[in-house]
Amino acid sequence: MEVGCLLLFRTLSSPLIRPPLRRHSWPVPSSPLLRASSSPPPLPSPPSAYPQGAYRGPKPRRDLVGDWVSNNDGFVRSLPIFVGGLSLLAVLLNRAFSGIAPVTDASSSQSRADILTLALAVTNLLSGLVWLSIRPKYISPVVPQGVDCKRINSKIANYAVLELLWAWESLSATTCCRSLVVVHGGFCLLQIGVAAESLTEVGEAVAVDVHKLIQSSVYRNVAESGKQSYLANLSLYPAKSELPFLPTTTQAVILQPLGNSGIAIIGGDTIRGFTDLDQAWITLIAEKLDVTLSKSQDN
Amino acid sequence: MPSLSRASHVSAESSTRGESAREMERGCGTILGGSIPLLQPRRKGANSLFPRSSSRRAQNRRRFAGVRAQDRNSQQQQLNLSVLRFTLGIPGLDESYLPRYIGLGFGSLILLNHFFSSSSSNVTSAQLRSEALGICLAAFSTALPYLGKFLKSATPVDRSSLPEGNKQIFVMSENASVTQKEDLAWASYVLLRNTNTMSVLIAVGDVLCVRGYWNMTEDLSKAHIVEWFKSQIQQTGFHDLEDTLYFPQKPDSDSQLGRMLPKGTLSLLVQPVLSTSTPTINVTKKTEGFVLLVSSADYAYGDKDRAWIRAVANKFQGT
Repeated sequence: MEVGCLLLFRTLSSPLIRPPLRRHSWPVPSSPLLRASSSPPPLPSPPSAYPQGAYRGPKPRRDLVGDWVSNNDGFVRSLPIFVGGLSLLAVLLNRAFSGIAPVTDASSSQSRADILTLALAVTNLLSGLVWLSIRPKYISPVVPQGVDCKRINSKIANYAVLELLWAWESLSATTCCRSLVVVHGGFCLLQIGVAAESLTEVGEAVAVDVHKLIQSSVYRNVAESGKQSYLANLSLYPAKSELPFLPTTTQAVILQPLGNSGIAIIGGDTIRGFTDLDQAWITLIAEKLDVTLSKSQDN
Repeated sequence: MPSLSRASHVSAESSTRGESAREMERGCGTILGGSIPLLQPRRKGANSLFPRSSSRRAQNRRRFAGVRAQDRNSQQQQLNLSVLRFTLGIPGLDESYLPRYIGLGFGSLILLNHFFSSSSSNVTSAQLRSEALGICLAAFSTALPYLGKFLKSATPVDRSSLPEGNKQIFVMSENASVTQKEDLAWASYVLLRNTNTMSVLIAVGDVLCVRGYWNMTEDLSKAHIVEWFKSQIQQTGFHDLEDTLYFPQKPDSDSQLGRMLPKGTLSLLVQPVLSTSTPTINVTKKTEGFVLLVSSADYAYGDKDRAWIRAVANKFQGT
């Protein structure tokens, strides 16, 4: 596809944003607010530390409750259970020690109050159980075994190299990606990250055999369907043998076709480490890469 | 054995690879007034939770239906790791707010009971204790959905809507190079598509790109729009930002910022483009520009979203 200055008009179709759709979930956690995590803190530093010419506009308020909840995640999750359970006990003890007959009829106002309180306690209990059940399971990443390598094909233009390196830096910073291989137009353009160590040359990475890769079943499947293929747990797939250049302990692999003439192989270090969001972003980045690499190939 | 392939939601929506390519071509060509490009809806299926009616048994049934179906379930399971989801099945009712409704309802019933009984007979101390406990529990239940919002789990819900009074525009500075225009068009497209964003503004160097729904009161020409935005940005001082600025809730609307932003802004994220060159003694400027994103939902940008936005902003480093 020629990338020149074409005039293209999209016809007006359905609106950009759908009407509001309330998702049915229990609970509905939005992303946690600014909290102390490994990512850089979104809050600017206190005004006293500002050098000249720094930003002086409005700043967001600090959300103390949000920060506290995010930091004490486990405790907050089990809090409703304790509250509900203790209240349950308290109501029963109150009834027992006040000398009221243990009859739960709604005739006396005491019983009514007790029943309402019990119902609230049970609600809290159930809510706590649901929170505990949706705690995300932590799967620890596996260190990829291999050697670091950075092989860039010298035939491609400088801007394409910069774009490929940008793609690698984005992927390695935001996802669990630890290896990246880009094949386009019959050549291996980029092999970066951790790669399997070659048996013949110690300390060198296994080179990508492009001919063998193009004939392999994984490549053919992906090229035929034109869609991304996500192997969430690589040890379950026999396709592992067709990707010998990836480290042996690669846990997840995304095979992303680059248009019709290439493939990007992204290896990760966590089982099911790539989320839906990552997959969507990888698809769009791949389209951009394809355009850039095609342009570089044409020139 | 063929490898299982998962049809990702985005590729299902975008027809061909030409989607992104067309965006870039549009960026470098002239944008005429009448044909404002409208984008596909942003990622929606990506956040869909476990199907409402499915239970364990339904899952098993689906397993025999085909390999692809199983793959989809296991993929959805990677985000939603509970077996059962509590739901009343009433459309439009958000089950996470159920403790709040129950807390308010039962709390008011307890009060009613108290006044009813105090008018008819004496209130015993046991009953008072019980009622006090009930009121405390009701207050706690009411606060539960608010606390649950900050827990580390599941995905943010797409609760955004299109506020009234905004116009969709797509303008770019004329003095941008062809590659810059392509990059800007692609970046703005990707940000609008993949995040919970209603409007985007990218300013790199002296080149500006504005896309999405903005508060344009009168019809200005493209060049005037660019100039207007430039003057607004000068006053906000975003060029001096060195770190990400994130307003998860509505920023002050009567400040300078509020005049520039579209109506119905609930979240604002400003990501500076950090420069890679080492600062010399004289030049201490650490940023080359910024990317501004506006959303019509609060708490719109999670950690992962912000990380990807940072990655897109880094694309403009060194340009």
